[in-house]
Amino acid sequence: MSPRLARWLGGLALLLVWPLVASEYRVFQAGLVASTAIIALGLIIVTGVAGQVSLAQAAFAAIGAYGAALFAVRLGIPAWFGIPLAAGLAGLAGYALGFASLRLGGHYLALVTMALTAIVQVLLIHWEDLTGGALGLAVTPLSIAGKELTSGFALYYVVAPVAWGMFAAAANLLDSRLGRAFAALRQSEVAAQTLGVNALHYKALAFACSAVFGAVGGGLQALQTTFLDPHAFGIIESVVLVAIIVIGGFRSIAGAAFGSAAFVLIPEMLGAFQSYKGAVWAVLLLLMIVFFPGGLAGLGVTLARRFLPMLTRSAR
Amino acid sequence: MLLPQIILSGITAGAVYALVALGFVLIYKGTHVIHFGLGEQVALGAYLVIILQLYVGLAFWPAIFLALVAAGLIGLLIERLVMRPIKLQPILVQIIATLAIGLGIREGVRAVMGPQAWPFEFLLSPVPQSFMGLHFALANIAIVAAALIVMAGLYVFFNHMKLGRAVLATCENPVGASLTGMPVPAILTSIWVMASVLAAIAGILLAPIVTLSPELGLIGIKGFTVAVLGGFTSLPGAVVGGVILGTIETAAGIYVSTAMKDATTYLLLALIIIVRPQGLFGQRTVNKV
Repeated sequence: MSPRLARWLGGLALLLVWPLVASEYRVFQAGLVASTAIIALGLIIVTGVAGQVSLAQAAFAAIGAYGAALFAVRLGIPAWFGIPLAAGLAGLAGYALGFASLRLGGHYLALVTMALTAIVQVLLIHWEDLTGGALGLAVTPLSIAGKELTSGFALYYVVAPVAWGMFAAAANLLDSRLGRAFAALRQSEVAAQTLGVNALHYKALAFACSAVFGAVGGGLQALQTTFLDPHAFGIIESVVLVAIIVIGGFRSIAGAAFGSAAFVLIPEMLGAFQSYKGAVWAVLLLLMIVFFPGGLAGLGVTLARRFLPMLTRSAR
Repeated sequence: MLLPQIILSGITAGAVYALVALGFVLIYKGTHVIHFGLGEQVALGAYLVIILQLYVGLAFWPAIFLALVAAGLIGLLIERLVMRPIKLQPILVQIIATLAIGLGIREGVRAVMGPQAWPFEFLLSPVPQSFMGLHFALANIAIVAAALIVMAGLYVFFNHMKLGRAVLATCENPVGASLTGMPVPAILTSIWVMASVLAAIAGILLAPIVTLSPELGLIGIKGFTVAVLGGFTSLPGAVVGGVILGTIETAAGIYVSTAMKDATTYLLLALIIIVRPQGLFGQRTVNKV
């Protein structure tokens, strides 16, 4: 067994064991961190690695959440199949988006993805016959052998292993030919093209990947929140997701986990100042951008590089 | 409804959109950054007036004056504390920074002033009047007049004043401008200040005719659409784009449905960027390797 595989399996074992000694509330929170991290992971692939600014991640999460919920309500397809189906649809939508914005980069891409999110949200709110409109939509709970999984504890054991699998998939993806093509796109689209990277196709693939991750995360999160509010899938939420990966560190997949953990835990630390959580989050984001562009994950690496040699030296 | 009436209503909305778009275009020309938080600064401008009235006890007009000063200061702080330190970072980082500024203003306003709507004074009477079969309110005329005055001021500033020409020269070629002795960093700061004041003016004009809530920040999308229509580098293009969008929106609101009014804007934004990224008046740019 390679050391890398051992590390990943060790991580999985830890994920599965710690809830046995933790409080129900912490386990519920960890489940939320896991589903948020899956959504953020998609954004890391398209924005952090492939360098394409996307404000469409909330829209992809909405496709996963509403898609799976509607499959269950209208067609009786359980979420076990509904989420993968919705993720497939989101992937197609992501590929189409990437393909349509072929010539665009930077600002214009941000604007197009922003428009897409706005359009999806308008549909969610005003296509009342299908989506339940502004009043929202109740989510059919996940069931296994006739038993409904509704507790935070039970859902954790669904979401956490899926998150583990998605992180492992992302790690492998980024190590593959595909991942290197994505990174080449970020560094220089023109240079990548001269080296035979089909920029158009890979850009579209990067968006497709981000959409699949976003939809899976969104579908799982819908099971945790049990209710879908169309106002939770707008441009602001897309910006918050960008903030999550920047604060976590958007060059590495670990950043998705760090950022999501910070996002779920910070409101709790604010206590009585709950209403300031958005503002605190924005200030944190600005501080990170100006002073620590590597995010929490990068900060860890910097600190380790700076202090670990000192520790080992003094130990010698 | 008659076409002239639609155009009349469209011009009112369009004049305000044009002011927002002018802010985008100014910042983009000067720094090659699209400021995604400018829409939130529009809302902030109107909130500043309310805050100065309620908590400082100023009358309406002094409050407006001070709010514009404060908005300019905020623009200065944004440029000095955030945008200048990250000037050499990749464009991605700069985009995220402007998004963060918008999020901070929006959430700060929501935390302090609450999510509810605030009433806002009209500049002139909102009672509908009739003239030659067309319906309009003096308040709307005031909006168009104020927007026209600001635009005329900008025209004179850029074409006939030394500082305005220095700003244009800096936008055109910062290195060349600094070689001829222009204080380029100070000019860049003044661009952010001007754009921030423009946004605040737009907010103050807009607040009485729409509801003033933190959601008003989404007006930014209208500003983007107008700026994109105009080509993102053309100041007159932004003005024409504003009137076009205002008219299209009003028509969509009447002939399709009010819900589709905003959707039309979003679709238009996506379509123009994908089909004609240079806008109606912009120049096509070619990537040099």
